[in-house]
Amino acid sequence: MAERNVDSWLEAASRRLARTTSRRGFLARMGTALFGAASLPLLPIARAGAEVSREAAPDESKLQGAAGDPTNCEYWRYCAIDGFLSACCGGTHSSCPPGTEMSRITWIGTCRHPVDGKDYIISYNDCCGTSFCGRCICNRNEGDRPVYLAGKANDINWCMGTSTAAYSSTVAIVLGVATES
Amino acid sequence: MRAWIALLVLTGAATAAYAYSPATNYTLHCQGCHLADGTASADKVPALAGSVAQFLRVPEGRAFLVRVPGVANAQLADADLAALLDWTLRRFDAANLPADFVPYTADEVHRLRAEPLVDIAPARRRLLDAIESKR
Repeated sequence: MAERNVDSWLEAASRRLARTTSRRGFLARMGTALFGAASLPLLPIARAGAEVSREAAPDESKLQGAAGDPTNCEYWRYCAIDGFLSACCGGTHSSCPPGTEMSRITWIGTCRHPVDGKDYIISYNDCCGTSFCGRCICNRNEGDRPVYLAGKANDINWCMGTSTAAYSSTVAIVLGVATES
Repeated sequence: MRAWIALLVLTGAATAAYAYSPATNYTLHCQGCHLADGTASADKVPALAGSVAQFLRVPEGRAFLVRVPGVANAQLADADLAALLDWTLRRFDAANLPADFVPYTADEVHRLRAEPLVDIAPARRRLLDAIESKR
């Protein structure tokens, strides 16, 4: 009797699955993914960063809405980012997704904190080692310079000095507060 | 006339935007490649730590440090760049800094960065050989 119950339950579940999903839908999504994979690396995806080991982060608890959400492009640290957000790709705003390696060579800029008004130095390190993440593309360009000023350009693959140059996503690490002379 | 005023305003704004301390300017303009500790990495970028000031031991070395692309092309005013050079030499290679080292001046930087190195690798090689032969 128990076996029979399992059998009918499995049958019902399979039929439900077959009714509610579409093989063509899967193929369509698969096709989109493959096409996306082929075409996206051609886009001028920008990268960021700087060598960093510690977080000198300001108080983030008072940030409201998108400015305080690391999975949102409007997050305050992303003012000069150009790439996929690590926080949407299995990592966080300051750590790379598992299986990727953080580039030590990076591009560095400043973002003004919306609450305390200070300019923080932000390092946009690229996460390298797997194919591009594809989620949460974010392209904000405060302080970005043309690629002939390579050190200040975010349209560059900063996966340099890593074991692979394959770009996956980008983090935004606070290095400290910009101090005036 | 209006365009000139706009230009002056823009120039003023740009200058103000870069009025940072040498340490901050290092972070913003150098550290991305030379790294926070000046060690650079993976044969991509020369190390500063323990080596940059040795160029001051040979003729042309002082000029070389201003004429390299990362310095000459830095988006910094001459005075800020001079201060950044001095800070970098002391921060990363005080041991090699000659006792008679005279800090860079804005005028000197202005003159030298106007003569960028066309072919940097052989120039660097020649200086390193000269440094080596003086040991």
